[in-house]
Amino acid sequence: MASIVEISSEKCTGCGVCVIKCPTQAVALVDGKAVIVRSKACNYCTECETLCDFGAIRCPFEIILVEPEVGK
Amino acid sequence: MSEQSWLASRVAFLRTISYFTNLGEEEARRVGRELLERSFDRGQLIFIEGESCDGLYLVKSGQVRLFKSSPEGREIVLLVARQGDTFNDAPAFDGGPNPVSATALEAATVYIVPRQTLLSLLEACPAAVGIVNVLAGRLRHLTKVVEDLSFRSVASRLAKLLLELAVAEERVAPIPRLTQDEMASMVGSVRDVVGRALRALEQTGAIKIQGHRILVVNAEMLRKML
Repeated sequence: MASIVEISSEKCTGCGVCVIKCPTQAVALVDGKAVIVRSKACNYCTECETLCDFGAIRCPFEIILVEPEVGK
Repeated sequence: MSEQSWLASRVAFLRTISYFTNLGEEEARRVGRELLERSFDRGQLIFIEGESCDGLYLVKSGQVRLFKSSPEGREIVLLVARQGDTFNDAPAFDGGPNPVSATALEAATVYIVPRQTLLSLLEACPAAVGIVNVLAGRLRHLTKVVEDLSFRSVASRLAKLLLELAVAEERVAPIPRLTQDEMASMVGSVRDVVGRALRALEQTGAIKIQGHRILVVNAEMLRKML
């Protein structure tokens, strides 16, 4: 499943903490800014969001209702 | 007490209440005549949450405790109304059920402004009816928020939030996207606690967390947590 992590290039300072701490190496610095480079590797642990001191990373969750199938 | 001084004392009292400070003399006298007076002993129940409302209550003397009760019997006091205070304002205007219960904290006498009397004061300004109904609705909502924060666990508040927000993928409505911080701020908690509550809900089988998707797979189970 592709990640939907949102990284603000305006807020990102390129400190690289998220790159170092990402357990699946899904994030890297590109031109001095954090970018999800391996979207499918991201396990959505949301550590990067927690660690970013600059509020540059958002890991939103989609809230989806799975309706019971008719007849079940 | 003569009829005249009886009415004059009521009108003088009404003038001390913000709602009625600017009433014209004739209207003030009419409202004064239509007031219902009730006395209660210390500890006596005045009305119960959920019942229909008689009108706007004004404390003539004594003190009245406004409170909400949880199903387990816990109570939270939202207001102690003293002389000159009003209470049960929201249902007096919107006609809905009493959002709280009331008992006399000490021997108390109250005036009740019947709802029809109250609404008659707004007849000349139809917009005012809409405005007070909106404000009454906000007051009810905030009362509910206080109730939730006081009586419900974070997991229960989160269950309520997920039930309110969850949208089926095939529906036209956009699927809501919230971070754990945003969920925390909406249920009056912090991210770590919300993270644990989400995992706890997942363990019950009510939800499944798949990557960035929180799937409400058993809404009925979430409802039972409310």
